[in-house]
Amino acid sequence: MKIIVAIKQVPERDAHIRIDSSGKWIEESDVQYAMNESDAYALEEALQLREKHSGEVIVVSAGPERVGTTIREALAKGADRAIHIDCNDLNQRDALGVARLIADAIRPDNADLILTGLQSDDLGYGQTGVILAELLGVPHATLILHVEKTDAGLKVKRELEAGFFQEIELPLPAALTIQSGGNKLRYATLMGIKKAKTKEMRVVTAAALDGAPVAVLDGIAHPKKQRSTQIIPGDAKQAAATLVEKLKFEARIL
Amino acid sequence: MTSLSATLAEPQSFSLVEKLLFLLLVAASGVLFWRRFGPILRKILHSRKDPDFHLSPIGRRVWDFFWEVICQAKVIQQRPLPGLAHAFVFWGFCAFALVTLNHAAVGLGIGFLDPASWIGRTYFYLADAFAIACAVGIFGLFVRRFLVRPRWLGSKVSWESGFIAGLIFVLMVTYLGAFFTTDAAPTARILWWIHTLTLLIFLPLIPHTKHLHLVLSPATIFLSRDGFSQIPPLVGDEDFGLVTGKDLTQLVSLQAYSCVECGRCSEHCPATNTGKLLNPKEIILGVRAYLNEFGPASDEQLLGKHNSQEAVFQCTTCGACEFQCPVGIEHLPIMIGLRRGAVNTGAWENDYGGKLFNQLERGSNALGISALERDKFIQKTELPIFDGTQEYCLWLGCMGGYDPKGREIIASFARVMNYLGTSYGVLKKEKCTGDPVRRLGNDLLFQQLAEENLKALAQNKVKKIVSICPHCVRTIQEDWKAYGTPPEIEHHSEFMARFAGRLPKQKSDEKVVFHDPCYLGRYRNVYDEPRELVQLSATLVEAPRHRERSFCCGAGGGLAFLGEETGERVSHVRAQELVATGASTVGTACPFCNTMFRDALAASEKPPQLLDIAQLVARGLPPVAPTSNGVSKA
Ligand code: SF4
Ligand code: SF4
Repeated sequence: MKIIVAIKQVPERDAHIRIDSSGKWIEESDVQYAMNESDAYALEEALQLREKHSGEVIVVSAGPERVGTTIREALAKGADRAIHIDCNDLNQRDALGVARLIADAIRPDNADLILTGLQSDDLGYGQTGVILAELLGVPHATLILHVEKTDAGLKVKRELEAGFFQEIELPLPAALTIQSGGNKLRYATLMGIKKAKTKEMRVVTAAALDGAPVAVLDGIAHPKKQRSTQIIPGDAKQAAATLVEKLKFEARIL
Repeated sequence: MTSLSATLAEPQSFSLVEKLLFLLLVAASGVLFWRRFGPILRKILHSRKDPDFHLSPIGRRVWDFFWEVICQAKVIQQRPLPGLAHAFVFWGFCAFALVTLNHAAVGLGIGFLDPASWIGRTYFYLADAFAIACAVGIFGLFVRRFLVRPRWLGSKVSWESGFIAGLIFVLMVTYLGAFFTTDAAPTARILWWIHTLTLLIFLPLIPHTKHLHLVLSPATIFLSRDGFSQIPPLVGDEDFGLVTGKDLTQLVSLQAYSCVECGRCSEHCPATNTGKLLNPKEIILGVRAYLNEFGPASDEQLLGKHNSQEAVFQCTTCGACEFQCPVGIEHLPIMIGLRRGAVNTGAWENDYGGKLFNQLERGSNALGISALERDKFIQKTELPIFDGTQEYCLWLGCMGGYDPKGREIIASFARVMNYLGTSYGVLKKEKCTGDPVRRLGNDLLFQQLAEENLKALAQNKVKKIVSICPHCVRTIQEDWKAYGTPPEIEHHSEFMARFAGRLPKQKSDEKVVFHDPCYLGRYRNVYDEPRELVQLSATLVEAPRHRERSFCCGAGGGLAFLGEETGERVSHVRAQELVATGASTVGTACPFCNTMFRDALAASEKPPQLLDIAQLVARGLPPVAPTSNGVSKA
């Protein structure tokens, strides 16, 4: 089975974030990066499928040069080769734009299965995998916890709300977006990293691919802190009356 | 019969037949010795070279050799009575070397020490004294091994040891006997022959039994690594630690063949003592058995037939074994080497371990808690942020930054520093030092953590660090060296002890038992400082096992993160021992010991209170006025 896993590099959890001067993205020099969590689970699923059914695992990731570290981590954990879509404005592209880039880059590989995390931890569109399936013309399923290969194709387990699960079958080729927590993640090893050095990493530039976005990002902002203190003037009686007024009409809690 | 003032009797005029027979026996004995010793030596020499080995500083080696081999200091220190008996046997042997040489020479008619000359007379009398001491010593050891039978020597009675003890006894007695006869008497000749035959039987037995240590252990001690738990660097792209025989280095192989099976390591091992599979002696003997069966060029996995992965991952890296071993065996590089082999190649699969590694691959601390929680703690406790102007960087560590008890220790220590007027600050961001992953053998992750931290410390221009955690101290000071130059660092007990004169002193009857953390004691040699601090406000009592012999709390070596132990809990065994001292307070100096005991003491009927030395000191400080936001500050 030939499996392609689309992974994204995102700012590390708990990173202190500042907005850059353009107002459209964060100050990148401040933060460290890691593999998007649900993508890590997608990779794990792919590696386990390959261990059971043999085949090949190819990772694809779009972003600037720094993405190389996350790609190498994926290779170290066991992916066979990688495609790096070199692109410096990934964060300015909408999900359609990114999905177009990836679809274009992986089309020649004709994979049996395309996996990706269900959403990114930074922008959280949650659409890239789904659009990717559409662009490649394959069926898809989302929120997948478990994948099993059958003679006819795949049997997958989806996580629904409130502790419900759904099992569905679909033919191959197909695309799945993976939910975190379905498997235990393996750790990266020194031996893996050393082996990763010798594995193929093909770089394609975004300019050579079709990836035009439709929606344009206007700006980003920190959530506003909703805390304000007011000192109510006047004597006790008067102040109490004003307070009641304010609680009724401004805070609307009375 | 002559009196003892007589000279040593030496039979004269051996016949040609006797001389030939003697030479033949010597040759046979030598061949038998070499047939076994040769292959062992070859296995050691054909092992991989130690990449970090260098002979200098030679002074340290000479001193170790003098102190541990010649003086037998370690043997005696750890087990005074049997140790002394052993020392006498050893000294007896040394004194006997010349006697034996002369004895053989006499057989060929070329004796060079004339018993009648004053030199000969003096020397033989001297040897006499040693022979008596040696005979008594070996008899004592014999009684201990076969009648007292401490369980550390194993349940199997070693007949070969008994036989060898017998041989040594005979050697001494036949030597002493020769003082009671004359040169011409047939007794002299008989004694000579018995003595000779005993020697010639003894020689080939040496490499066949644990008495191999007679030949190897002086070299092992002389060649041992500088420093405690010295983990060698990995070199090249194929080195992942101890995976197969090809990875065994000359030092490891030499050490494996030097073990005398005395069981000192097992006697003090917290894992062995709580019913785990791990027994450090068996690990060493396992490596030896591997070398015997497969040799140093084999591709066979080291963790397999002769050593188990399960055992190796039960080690708390407390270092009791390495500290105790009288022949210079360094267990920790071997134990951690085997773990490295398993983790660096991905062979180790463990849910807890995998989770810990994943947490540290993407997060900042071993507890897997959001770094924002650390920020909140810093704000709430009003810890100053390090900006390059302060003298000290106060390193919080995972426990100090995220664990509730660890935070209390930090808050107390901050009060002490405020009281002393020390200028300090904490880093805005910190990552785990990598201690648990270093000890678990994950070199990739350790390197990542060490490098990121070193970079952050350099960017912040940190010159001096003080930390409440002995694990952080050790890892930063020693283990990070592989990847850069760490700033100076000290443990808060050392820091506070330096200012002890300025800290409040109010002696009380409160009994405090101090538990020596492994990484502060054996790893750093700090024993007196925390005791001095305890005694500022309380009366110190000692647990039966203390200082160098302290018994681990069970948390080290990454084990704090690996879930429930099999068998009895190490922390419970230690906690009971501390409670039994009758102390009303248990004093610790490590946040890991603290968490382990927090749970373990709760199980006892009337749990004593549990305080870090920083808390013991801080409680004597004058109360401070609350600041604007209600948090106290000294
Ligand atoms: S380091 Fe401690 S736990 Fe590990 S084998 Fe040695 S004595 Fe046992
Ligand atoms: S390793 Fe050292 S302490 Fe342990 S049994 Fe062997 S010689 Fe004794």
